[in-house]
Amino acid sequence: MDEDSPPPPPPNEASPPPPPVAVSGSPTDFLKGVVGKRVIVRLTSGVDYRGILSCLDGYMNIALEQTEEHVNGSVTNRYGDAFIRGNNVLYISAAEPL
Amino acid sequence: MDSNASGIQEPFDLIRLSLSERVFVKLRGDREVVGILHAYDGHMNLILSDVEETIMIVDPIEGSPNSEGTVKVAKRKMNMLFVRGDGVILVSPPSRT
Amino acid sequence: MASQILPLELIDRCIGSKIWVVMKGDREFSGTLLGFDDFVNMVLEDVTEFEITAEGIKQTKLSQTLLNGNNICMLIPGSSGPDS
Repeated sequence: MDEDSPPPPPPNEASPPPPPVAVSGSPTDFLKGVVGKRVIVRLTSGVDYRGILSCLDGYMNIALEQTEEHVNGSVTNRYGDAFIRGNNVLYISAAEPL
Repeated sequence: MDSNASGIQEPFDLIRLSLSERVFVKLRGDREVVGILHAYDGHMNLILSDVEETIMIVDPIEGSPNSEGTVKVAKRKMNMLFVRGDGVILVSPPSRT
Repeated sequence: MASQILPLELIDRCIGSKIWVVMKGDREFSGTLLGFDDFVNMVLEDVTEFEITAEGIKQTKLSQTLLNGNNICMLIPGSSGPDS
C-alpha cells in the first residue's frame, strides 16, 4: 500500500488572485456606455457629426439626435435626426465623460 | 433603456419612420438629394420620388492658398429615383420636433 | 504544428499600453488600447489623431474613442505615435 499521501497544497500566500476582468474595454462595452451620450462621429472624408448617439448596429450604422455637421471646424448643417451609413465612419469618440 | 422619446431601437428605425416623408440624403461625390422616401433595404438602397438633386461644384480661385473658391450649385429634378446604397453617407428625416 | 502566435494575440497583449495606429490613408492615431474585436475595431483612450497634410501634421486630442477597423493598415505596439 502506498503510504505517500499527496502533499497538501501549499498555502501559497504570495501569489495574487487571478486578475479580475473588471473593465473589459471591448468595442461592444464602449458602445453600451456611450449610447445616449454626446459623441463626435468622424467620417473617412474628414467631416464630423456631433450629436447625441441614439443607437447603432453591427455595421456601425448610426442614428444621431441634435446633430451638427462640422467641416473644417465650422458648422455647415444641423439635423434633428440623422442616419449615418456605417461604411463611412472613421471613429466614434465620446464628447462627454463616460 | 429607452434612450430617447422617439422609440428608436436601431438606426434603421429612423429610416422606417421616414417612409412617405421628405428626406434629405447626402451622397458621395458632393451630391445631395431631397425627395419623398418610398422604399429602402438593408443596403440603404433607396427609392425616392419628386426629387431635387444639388451638386456642389467648387472652382478654386487662382492663387488662393486655402480651398476657397466660387461654389457653383447645380440643381436638377427627377420624378422617380433609385439610389444605390453604397453611395449613401447620411439620411435625415424631416424634423419631428 | 500551428504557428507559434497569432497576430491578434500580440495585440491582445498590448491592452492597457500605448499603441500607434497607422491608417490606410494619411491619418494616424496613438492612444492607450482598451480593447478590440475580431474586426480589429479598437477602443482607445487619451487619443491623439494625426492628419498628415501638405501643410504639416494636424493633431487632435480625443477622449475614449472607437476606431473603425476598416481603414487600419498597421499597428505599432508600445509607441506613442509618430513623434516618439
